[in-house]
Amino acid sequence: MTLLADVASILLNGLQQGAIFALLGIGLTIILGTMEFLNLAHGALYLVGAYTGMFVFRESTLNSGLLNSAGIESFGLAFGFLAALIIVPLVGLGVGVLMERFVAKPFYDRPETDQLLVTFGLALIVTEVFKAVVGGDTFQPVTPQRILGVSVSGPVTLPVVGAFPKWRLFIVGIAVAVIAATYLLIEKTDFGLVVQAGTHDSEMVRLLGIRIERSYSLVFAVGAALAALAGLIGVSFQTISPQIGTERALVPAFLTIVVGGAGSVPGAIVGGVVLGVVVAAVTQSPFAQWAQIVLYILVALVLVFRPEGIFPGGVGE
Amino acid sequence: MSQTDGPVDRRDVLKLVGAGGIAGLAGCAGGGGGGSSEFPELGNYPVEGDEVVFGFNVPQSGSYSQEGADELNGYNLAMDHLNNGGGWVDGVDALSGDGILDKTVTSVEGDTATDADQARQEAQRMINRDDAIMVTGGSSSAVAIAVQELCQEEKVMFMACLTHSNDTTGSACVRYSFREMFNAYMTGQALAPVLSDEYGSDLNFYQLYADYTWGSTVQSSMQQFLEAEGWTQTNSVATPLGTSDYSSFLADVPRDETDALLLVHYGLDAANSLPQAIEAGLDEDLEVIVPLYNRLMANAARESIDGIFGTADWNWQLENDATQSFVEAFRNEYDKVPSYAARLAYSQTLQYAAAVERAETFYPPEVIRALEDHTYSGFGLGEETMRACDHQAQHDVLVVRGLPEGEQTEDQLLNVVGQTARGDIGYACDAGPASECELGSYGDE
Repeated sequence: MTLLADVASILLNGLQQGAIFALLGIGLTIILGTMEFLNLAHGALYLVGAYTGMFVFRESTLNSGLLNSAGIESFGLAFGFLAALIIVPLVGLGVGVLMERFVAKPFYDRPETDQLLVTFGLALIVTEVFKAVVGGDTFQPVTPQRILGVSVSGPVTLPVVGAFPKWRLFIVGIAVAVIAATYLLIEKTDFGLVVQAGTHDSEMVRLLGIRIERSYSLVFAVGAALAALAGLIGVSFQTISPQIGTERALVPAFLTIVVGGAGSVPGAIVGGVVLGVVVAAVTQSPFAQWAQIVLYILVALVLVFRPEGIFPGGVGE
Repeated sequence: MSQTDGPVDRRDVLKLVGAGGIAGLAGCAGGGGGGSSEFPELGNYPVEGDEVVFGFNVPQSGSYSQEGADELNGYNLAMDHLNNGGGWVDGVDALSGDGILDKTVTSVEGDTATDADQARQEAQRMINRDDAIMVTGGSSSAVAIAVQELCQEEKVMFMACLTHSNDTTGSACVRYSFREMFNAYMTGQALAPVLSDEYGSDLNFYQLYADYTWGSTVQSSMQQFLEAEGWTQTNSVATPLGTSDYSSFLADVPRDETDALLLVHYGLDAANSLPQAIEAGLDEDLEVIVPLYNRLMANAARESIDGIFGTADWNWQLENDATQSFVEAFRNEYDKVPSYAARLAYSQTLQYAAAVERAETFYPPEVIRALEDHTYSGFGLGEETMRACDHQAQHDVLVVRGLPEGEQTEDQLLNVVGQTARGDIGYACDAGPASECELGSYGDE
């Protein structure tokens, strides 16, 4: 493999990983930036998206759990990925609204430690509920074969890079489109303006006759929908089990916003891509087993030398 | 079913002496396991009261909890059969079906969470608080090695369950641990000739291996035996344990220069790496091989295992009597067929119990001697020997191949394509992993 092919492969793999990091990071950062609410249940929202996605997208065999005990041997509607792509974010929105109303809202004025405890507890409960209902089994990733008649499975030969999984390119496309829409929503719309104004001075926004609580609720819901969407994408290429929420969603989301800057949507995008490319570069080097260590070293260096991240402030400024 | 001891059977000698009237030497004082024993206190010996406690230390939380649950099924079935008869207990001469040395077998359970530190703490609790006379478990070599080290220190026996690293009965072996499962070295010996027959003898291969004791020993053993078949390793790359996205690793495999890709990943790592390799089209350009299968992985990656070779410890489809009687007993109890993890759990519990009965005492050094060089059959894999020099069971190894999705059933995902005889694999006590093994003391020297 030539140097050019190596670089292209690293960038492509890094972009794919980074797009998912960004998706997770944006969801966490807009909630943190807007409401100054630290949501440790972000991984649970990813889990909701993953299992809902699995349920809508395909049919899976159940070997344990309450459903299986009740005589249900298979689980899922098998409506296909496109249906899941619409339904999962809507479910995420709904869960986000409920979560904001009943979990987050009562804790807005409480100390951060209380927020951490209640959301961490919620994450544990969600994990255990999924484990009880569908069992602790690990489900295989299933890549969609066709979407709207277009084949999205198998390898495709790209210039310079060579063979590359076609579905990974679609993942990048979906993530980039959703990230762009979120960016425009927060940065370029009246709704985004209200949210940003609210983060600077919520009292003044209220005095102007704007019901800022509604905006908070919607921001929380959007953040939840993004996490759920990331869960659906995960279903298409990674195994699913009740334990994945923290490891695959919460930790990467935190690392992303530390690098990008807490509360900043552009920061989460850039932070996600930077982390993705760094992981891919180390993974494809002779020091592959150092990839995770290098990731944390990078985050530590950012905290030491630029604790405000690449894009300080942003939405939360 | 038969069980015969090695050339020197100390208990037989003691029995003869006892029969000659020298009371006390043969443990005549009531079973040998109680407080009025002829042996000094050691570890959790002597066993007080009417019950004896086993410690079942398996993953009950985390990603391997399903495998742990099946191991626990095997352990509980063994305990039931030891106390009430049934299953293999009825065919092992040494076992009565009425407990062990007239004591009822009970158990305590621990959750390793597939973490070596937690497993060690759980085992410590079983030994100190619960007075477990024997600890068993493991679904990771790192866990098994950590626990067996503790057991050697505490002079409590450890019957290793699911551990495949060469180190368990190689460089990290201990006197107080015995392993029924085959190891990475034997996987290499069994699998390499089959791969050579199937794919040719002049292939370039590339390995991705999990970066811990198990992965590195499988990687080195596969390299050794594939190169002996004329294959050439182009590269081997360590992947962090628990990786869920292998795309960057897979992108680095040079397709033009590689004929075969070995994914030395176990369980859930393989459940991610294998489908991702298939999705990247690597199976179209080269042969993909998974050296060690387990049910968890085969089930999670069932759509990607078609035609892929590997090895397995045992399979419920084997037609020998022992296998079928175990499958029947297990199915009657749990309404499903056992995985090989369950067979390991069941057989290791029975092996320990039979050794105690042969030794006529729970005194660990005597039980160890009863197990060393013990030859037995009827555990599903033909005649086996638990070697004295490294405590590694020598038995046949199964080579399996994934079934096409259309031919799979809920219970059958793999086909047994060969059973490599123990005579064609294995290694001398001064060769392979055994050459690095220093077992340590019995504790009664």
